[in-house]
Amino acid sequence: MLEIQNLSVKLGKKDIIQQLSLSMETNQFIGIIGANGSGKSTLLKTIYKGLIPTTGKIVYNEMNLLHTPAKKIAQKLSVVGQFNELSFDFTVFQMVLLGRTPHKRLLETDSQEDYDIVEYALHEMGLTDYRNESFLSLSGGEKQRVILARALAQQPEFLILDEPTNHLDIRYQLELMESVKNLNIGILAALHDLDLAAAYCDYVYAMKNGEIIAAGTPEEIFTEALIEELYGIRCVVYRNPITEHLAFHYYI
Amino acid sequence: MNNSQKNRLKNKKLRVNITENENHSHLKGRILIKLSRTEGASLQLAKIINKPTLPRNAQFFITLGFVALFIFSILFSLGNGQADISFTDIWQILLYKTTHGALGSIDTINQSVINIIWFVRTPRVLAAIFIGCGLAISGTVMQAVVQNPLADPYILGISSGASLGATFAIMVGFGTASIFSQISLSFSAFLGALLATFFVLLLSSFGGKMTSIKLVLSGTVINSIFGSISSLIVFLANNAEGMKTVTFWSMGSLASASWGKLPLLAIVTMLVSVFFSFQFRVLNTMLLGDEVAVTLGIPLATYRKLYMVIASLLTGLIVANSGMIGFVGLIIPHIVRGMYGSDHKKLLPMSGFVGALFLVWTDLLSRVLLPNTDLPIGILTAIIGAPIFIYIILKKEYRFGG
Repeated sequence: MLEIQNLSVKLGKKDIIQQLSLSMETNQFIGIIGANGSGKSTLLKTIYKGLIPTTGKIVYNEMNLLHTPAKKIAQKLSVVGQFNELSFDFTVFQMVLLGRTPHKRLLETDSQEDYDIVEYALHEMGLTDYRNESFLSLSGGEKQRVILARALAQQPEFLILDEPTNHLDIRYQLELMESVKNLNIGILAALHDLDLAAAYCDYVYAMKNGEIIAAGTPEEIFTEALIEELYGIRCVVYRNPITEHLAFHYYI
Repeated sequence: MNNSQKNRLKNKKLRVNITENENHSHLKGRILIKLSRTEGASLQLAKIINKPTLPRNAQFFITLGFVALFIFSILFSLGNGQADISFTDIWQILLYKTTHGALGSIDTINQSVINIIWFVRTPRVLAAIFIGCGLAISGTVMQAVVQNPLADPYILGISSGASLGATFAIMVGFGTASIFSQISLSFSAFLGALLATFFVLLLSSFGGKMTSIKLVLSGTVINSIFGSISSLIVFLANNAEGMKTVTFWSMGSLASASWGKLPLLAIVTMLVSVFFSFQFRVLNTMLLGDEVAVTLGIPLATYRKLYMVIASLLTGLIVANSGMIGFVGLIIPHIVRGMYGSDHKKLLPMSGFVGALFLVWTDLLSRVLLPNTDLPIGILTAIIGAPIFIYIILKKEYRFGG
């Protein structure tokens, strides 16, 4: 479904991503792990046209993303990014309604169908009662849920998440991952929390210095050696006796 | 209840169920998760529509009030000034003039009154409407373009550019021999404004992407440079009379409004206002910033340049007509945002409307406050606008739109 070939990205004069290739299949949940500055966000930004790569090719369902208009991409792909600060305020409803933008022609007004989709997305994120609140008055976690609701209102077939559980408390971390997983659409997520990555991802890519150094299912990839190489810490990987998921204990 | 009735009732129920399901069929596409759980709830919720800052009907009545106030303001402004003229006379004169004598009678009205109403006050009130509308629209667009609540129509160096143009025309002139001698003060101000805007756009596009921060900084830099060149000219010319003219020009005035100047101003203002009113989707996503806008399918860089050029042309034309009228383009968008929220679909037309209303009143005050003299309107806009602005901020816990 998504195919990235020999991608290189520079920010200023610095190489952030070098000759990176990656592929994922329809409706897979793909995780990208790696330390701060390993190029995870840059990779995601390049996919959604936030950055222009120096070389390489990104193909999504036979559509070359680098040569496709942003609007056409936005109809298929939505993004929950890291920075959502605003100088001006919107109500939560207006914010989520903006998710309908790629499906609208310039002069088209919002239809009842759009309102229904927005209400549905609000409901999914437990935001129905927040409809008329001002976005800027919300807490970080609530803002994150609004942004995810906006992404849902785009009705994407593919979702990019850049550290989606930032700012969220434990309950909402799990709820968010759960509802995202249940969407049954393709998901590419940069994740910090290895427990979450192990529990939800079908396949994981590990990045270091702009390159992929390991890839595989969580079972294959999460080894003590790899985690030490990625993050420079020592760790014990074990199977949680209650959940049967992989679990990690870190120490210096 | 007989059998056929029961059957009908059953059918009805069945139909209701079917329509409920159909209502949700569009949701069943890509994001369908737990439909059965949410079906009932979301059906109810769909009925409740978007409720922004103020309740919908409150907004409706405020809008109605504005329209009524607007019509009253125009007539009131026509009637008051150095000479007070009755409403019936105004009505007769307007009717007579607009229908070329077919309707209305001006036989009983003094010719000087007719001249005041038709040749002085009517073009002046119309100019106030278009200039107020244009400044407020331009300000709203600039605030969205640079994502900065402090932006106003002059942010791209227009004020200093126009001042330099005006200063140059007054102090130096363009000589008598060349074709440039025909260039008037206002045209020179217009050229100066365009020149400054051009430099700001050029400066902010150096070194890769044109970001809003770079735009604001470039605007500040160009403002300083053009400002000091103006000062240099004033200093070297040592011309007291000219200095007074420049100062007076920079305070803004609608006194020079005439039927001859109106058509261009009116047409440009209306075209630009209509254009931007149709751009509400792009303007809304602009507030989210470049990175988010592109994920919603809108590459901002192109739109940003286009909008700035159009808004700057409008502002330049306004400045050429009326000099510098500050504050309108800064506070009117904020005041309207406080009432109607950040959605440009409402914000933009209402800003234009409230801007027009505001300038009609400030122009009227500028005519009546001091006996036998016109107060520069730029002084009044700030003195009247600031308290309204402070009130909005304090009262509504204003958060720039939400």
